Amino acid sequence: MKHVACLLVVAVAACNACNSPSPSEHAPPPRVTQTAEPSDAIDQKLMVALSQAKNLTHKARIYTSDGDAASAIAAVREILALHFPANSPEAEDVRNDARAMLARLLVGQGNLDEAMNVIAEGLAQSQRESFFVANLYTVKGEILEARATALDTDPANKAHVVELRHAAIEAYDESNKIDKKLQDQLTESR
Amino acid sequence: MPESRDDDDNDLLAGPVPAPDDEPSAAERAHAKAFAELVDKTLAGRTPPAMNTDDRALLEVATVIRAASGNVELAQPRRRVLIEDALRQAVGTRALGTSGTMNTMVTAIRGTNFRRWAPWSVAGASMLVAAAAVVLWLRAPHRASPAPIAAAPQLPENERMRPADALVGPIAREQAGDAASRIDAIFADRLDGYRELRFGRAP
Repeated sequence: MKHVACLLVVAVAACNACNSPSPSEHAPPPRVTQTAEPSDAIDQKLMVALSQAKNLTHKARIYTSDGDAASAIAAVREILALHFPANSPEAEDVRNDARAMLARLLVGQGNLDEAMNVIAEGLAQSQRESFFVANLYTVKGEILEARATALDTDPANKAHVVELRHAAIEAYDESNKIDKKLQDQLTESR
Repeated sequence: MPESRDDDDNDLLAGPVPAPDDEPSAAERAHAKAFAELVDKTLAGRTPPAMNTDDRALLEVATVIRAASGNVELAQPRRRVLIEDALRQAVGTRALGTSGTMNTMVTAIRGTNFRRWAPWSVAGASMLVAAAAVVLWLRAPHRASPAPIAAAPQLPENERMRPADALVGPIAREQAGDAASRIDAIFADRLDGYRELRFGRAP
């Protein structure tokens, strides 16, 4: 009889559990009048980020014209820290453009290694081919050329110089290849 | 009748011990015969009469030897009492009636029957509960799933986030570091789309 009583208690509890509403049922029902929002619509967050990026690039330009390369570099680095909407392709484009600008500023400072790191980082984080990625390859070629020029003063570095210049050519070729591919796609879509 | 210590037969125990090969005397024969009858009567269940200490010790030894041989059968009333006691200890006094063996036997059979049908009763109750749960589940009103929100309408391209390739085009090498002008163009273009989306399209 003890077992039967325990069984009945468990059964009653199970029935109550079946009839009780699930946690999701406690949630308020979705509003009928709720309008659908396209996830890729231009929103305020994107406009704020673009506005900040625009202003920061202008700040960097002014600093550069004033000869304050360090402040210009700091302003461009701020662009890389901006918060864009997660699914906005503009975020990748703007960041890649900022990286190209930053690398050029670093090359002007003679900091070729850091400039190459900035480019490599941009290429690694890019999710798709774009004119901005092609531009990164262009700047990469310029950095490689600058390295070769810096080493060309010593005849002992001739082999390495040749190697760097070939790498620069490959970077320019890659840039041109991406440009052509995208240009063809745009032409076909119009 | 056994004799008392004052009888002549008791002198056998008190007198000198005879040699092993001596012929038994008439008194010894009579004493042995009387003691044999006493043993037979006692083992048959009769209450022994009063006797002297030596005879009682011998009678007890005979009783023990008889019991140890394993051929002793208890009398029916004694067996009944012993069985009742054992059953009372096994199933408890509550289940036992006062009328004796039949109640004891009936109670024991009832216990056996309960042990036999208890698992089946538990299994049957489980099946009934499971069936009831299924019925309740089937009869429970299923909540209608909320109406799906209408798919988001496809926005015009200029109101959507999108790559800026079409706007910027290929970037010339001499313009590689001129991010400011390109970001200006992107911002202006997206601002137009955002205004249209936010404040309505021009008729």
